[in-house]
Amino acid sequence: MAMKKKRYALVLDSRKCINCKACAVACKAENQVPVGNTRNWINEARQGEYPKLRIDFEPEQCHHCEHPSCARVCPTGATWMRKDGVVLVNYDDCIGCRYCMVACPYDARYFHEESGTVHKCTLCSHRVDKGDLPACVETCPSKVRVFGDLEDPTSRVHELLATRRYRVKEPQTGNGPQLYYLL
Amino acid sequence: MGTIRMDRRLFLKAAGATAGAAATTQVACLSYFKKGRSAAAENREVPTTCELCPNKCSAIAVVEAGVVKKLNPNPENPKSRDMLCARGNAAIKQVYDPDRIKKPMIRMGARGEGKWKEVSWDDAFDFAAKKLSEVKDKYGPQASLWSSTEGFQEIFFKNLGLAFGSPNLVRHPTLCLASVNLAYSATFGTVPSFDLLNSKFVIMSGANRFESIITPDTMDLIGGVMERKAKLIYLDPRFTVTAAKADEWYPIKPGTDLAFILAMIHVIIKENRQSKDFVAAYTTGFDELAEHVKQYTPEWAEKETEIPAKDITRLAREFADAAPRSLYYAGRRSSWYQNDFQMRRAQAILNAIIGNWDQVGGMVPNAKLPKGEFLFMPWDEPKAPRVDEIEKNFPLAAKGDGVYLKLRENVLSGKPYPIKAWMVYKQDPMNALPDQAKTLKMIEGMDFIGVIDVAMSDMAWYADVVFPESAYLERTDPVEVMAGIWPAVVYRQQVVKPIHDTKPNLEIVQGLAKRLGLSDYFDYTIEQWVEAEFKELPIPMAMEHMKKHGVWAASGKPTYGKTLTPDFRFVTKTGRIELFSQRLQEAGYDPLPAYTAPVQPPDDRFRLILGRVGYFTHANQTNNVWLNEFMKENDLWINPKPAERLGIRNGATVEVASSVGKVRLKARVTEEIRPDCVFMLHGFGKKSKMQSLVYNVGASDAVILETAWDKVSGNAAFHETFVKVANA
Repeated sequence: MAMKKKRYALVLDSRKCINCKACAVACKAENQVPVGNTRNWINEARQGEYPKLRIDFEPEQCHHCEHPSCARVCPTGATWMRKDGVVLVNYDDCIGCRYCMVACPYDARYFHEESGTVHKCTLCSHRVDKGDLPACVETCPSKVRVFGDLEDPTSRVHELLATRRYRVKEPQTGNGPQLYYLL
Repeated sequence: MGTIRMDRRLFLKAAGATAGAAATTQVACLSYFKKGRSAAAENREVPTTCELCPNKCSAIAVVEAGVVKKLNPNPENPKSRDMLCARGNAAIKQVYDPDRIKKPMIRMGARGEGKWKEVSWDDAFDFAAKKLSEVKDKYGPQASLWSSTEGFQEIFFKNLGLAFGSPNLVRHPTLCLASVNLAYSATFGTVPSFDLLNSKFVIMSGANRFESIITPDTMDLIGGVMERKAKLIYLDPRFTVTAAKADEWYPIKPGTDLAFILAMIHVIIKENRQSKDFVAAYTTGFDELAEHVKQYTPEWAEKETEIPAKDITRLAREFADAAPRSLYYAGRRSSWYQNDFQMRRAQAILNAIIGNWDQVGGMVPNAKLPKGEFLFMPWDEPKAPRVDEIEKNFPLAAKGDGVYLKLRENVLSGKPYPIKAWMVYKQDPMNALPDQAKTLKMIEGMDFIGVIDVAMSDMAWYADVVFPESAYLERTDPVEVMAGIWPAVVYRQQVVKPIHDTKPNLEIVQGLAKRLGLSDYFDYTIEQWVEAEFKELPIPMAMEHMKKHGVWAASGKPTYGKTLTPDFRFVTKTGRIELFSQRLQEAGYDPLPAYTAPVQPPDDRFRLILGRVGYFTHANQTNNVWLNEFMKENDLWINPKPAERLGIRNGATVEVASSVGKVRLKARVTEEIRPDCVFMLHGFGKKSKMQSLVYNVGASDAVILETAWDKVSGNAAFHETFVKVANA
């Protein structure tokens, strides 16, 4: 394996999202997320008056921020960032204080009752490390999600961000979120 | 042929695998078992075929320590394209559902009371065989009814009914798409596929493809529409997800789609925009059609549909201009109005005159693949005529499927003869049929009811004996050929052993057959059956391939244009595409679709419209814990204007009453529906306590829907009920 620097990210083409929830169930199975909790979800915005109406869907999960506020507030260092940008929780070190849940601008974390620790999206790093796609990306019927390495100039995510307009959510926090929404 | 669109993600994967793969017209079907995709040593990965909806997507089950942990999409199937929807992913919870039927059960209390005794398979078989034999002795074998819904093991159930001597098999199509099938068959002699991957202009009438079911049609269209390669026009009284994604949405007045289509045909013919060469070469009856549609002007249609005449004219022009890459899409569940057949016929005719037949981006006759057949001992054909009197009432309808609602009427009246035993496989007539009170009455009249199902449906809840079927992940099933633009063969193989005392349908059928003296007809194993089917598949080492991959897709380009030769004979009376149909005329129906304005609801009532959401399959899966999370109960959609008039607040409980029943559920006051309609989702308000998440939660539409059917196909007309809504 080349030792080149990696920076994993998700590019989301929200216009193609049809709110089918395949991503949410795939994640649930892959990561054994308890019923009542979720690591990824779809925001809905409904507006207008009959018959001039509009619905927008927006998939969301942990933004795997470049400067994650969750990691900053963690008293034990349980939340950490891999070299490839994936933000993870080391469950052995997590004391369940939930500061990170408060610090996250995206409300992307939940308290896992059974283990007493805080969980969230791992970008399916266990799959990615084997060369597979995150479960939500693989299963998506309408191809909303593109996963890849921003540092790789041949990657689709790199190409999309180089050629399309996009936005990130809550940029003012300084967290440097790595979920990119195409406009 | 031109360039073929390829969706972005397939492109991405293909480009990653081999440069230049995107130039082909084939749907990229990459191998799942690529290098590097190896399961950990303790895991097994078993390819199989999803059963949670009728689309038959290919999945790879990941098994850890004997437990199914994950279902991954299998990219090798062009009919599922490397995706699994929410349901597909949630199939795991079908297996590990605490509400599952864990052993055969015999009813102890009154029907529907929920008092059950768990029994051995022998006891269940003995009991059912005794009851079936009693009915046979007393009334004859035709007094038994065998109803089922499509599935790979359905054939064994149907064969048991036939071997038993009953002509009364009744299947789901007349609750679903019988009118589409019949309308396209009457016009083209076959039911084609729609090449949405390559279409540039698509019109959908209520076919809610982005919301109600997720299949490759959904994927092809969302890619096309969102990348501005295809234009989507969508007609629906409700603002669905499909409406939200469409280029243009028209909240058409319910029941008037036929007027819209006829006016489109009017404009195209008046402006001479039809495909003249195609019409001359392949169709018959164009002159009659031209004369017939003269009356249907856009201005007339505007009054009927509430779609502006100038838009109808413009859409007709755009539709014709985009030909042959334009489509009026047929959709799936098409059981809406009593003119449904003629409305679908008009769509077929509109498609025909612009010459999109057998063209890239148009309608394409399905390519098929051969498969072997296991030769079993044949039985004598049942002697009695069908109880639904299909030949007399619906001479053009599919005899093997029956006509469900007419059948129920006849069973209730006891004419032409009594039906006293009801066997059900994989179907829930309690929710699938309108007017639940009538179904309950039919249940009351039975001497015996046996149900085979994976879950305790409402129908099973009212049965005398319930035979628990193994879930699809616990079974090996017959091989299925999926005809289409990209034909494929799929195989469902056992992933894990049954976790409860359940059996696959074949073994249940065999258990009954043995006690009914019919064993000789079912003297085989599923392995022998499947082996015979493998033999004639056009695949080298078919069995090895199918066990390893679970799917085989015919390679090469789709074969467009095979029927476009001068000597090709369409399977119609004239051998041509029948715009005017003599066959219909002879059967006493309109030979060209004629419009009659539908009755509209009086001021104090609403038309009840139905729909589906892709988290659930009809009345199924609402009790699946991973899917139920997305929608815990159904509600009644009502526009704010009438809601205000009636003093109904969002979230308040309302009573919805029709002439046959009433239900209570919460109101959703929303702009996303016409003021003259209300909408509710199917699959809630269950009576079965073994559907614990939805037992008595929300309401079942079956309770308030009235009985009505399409005159030609006998298809149930589900949008013909007017309801009163009031605060409860």
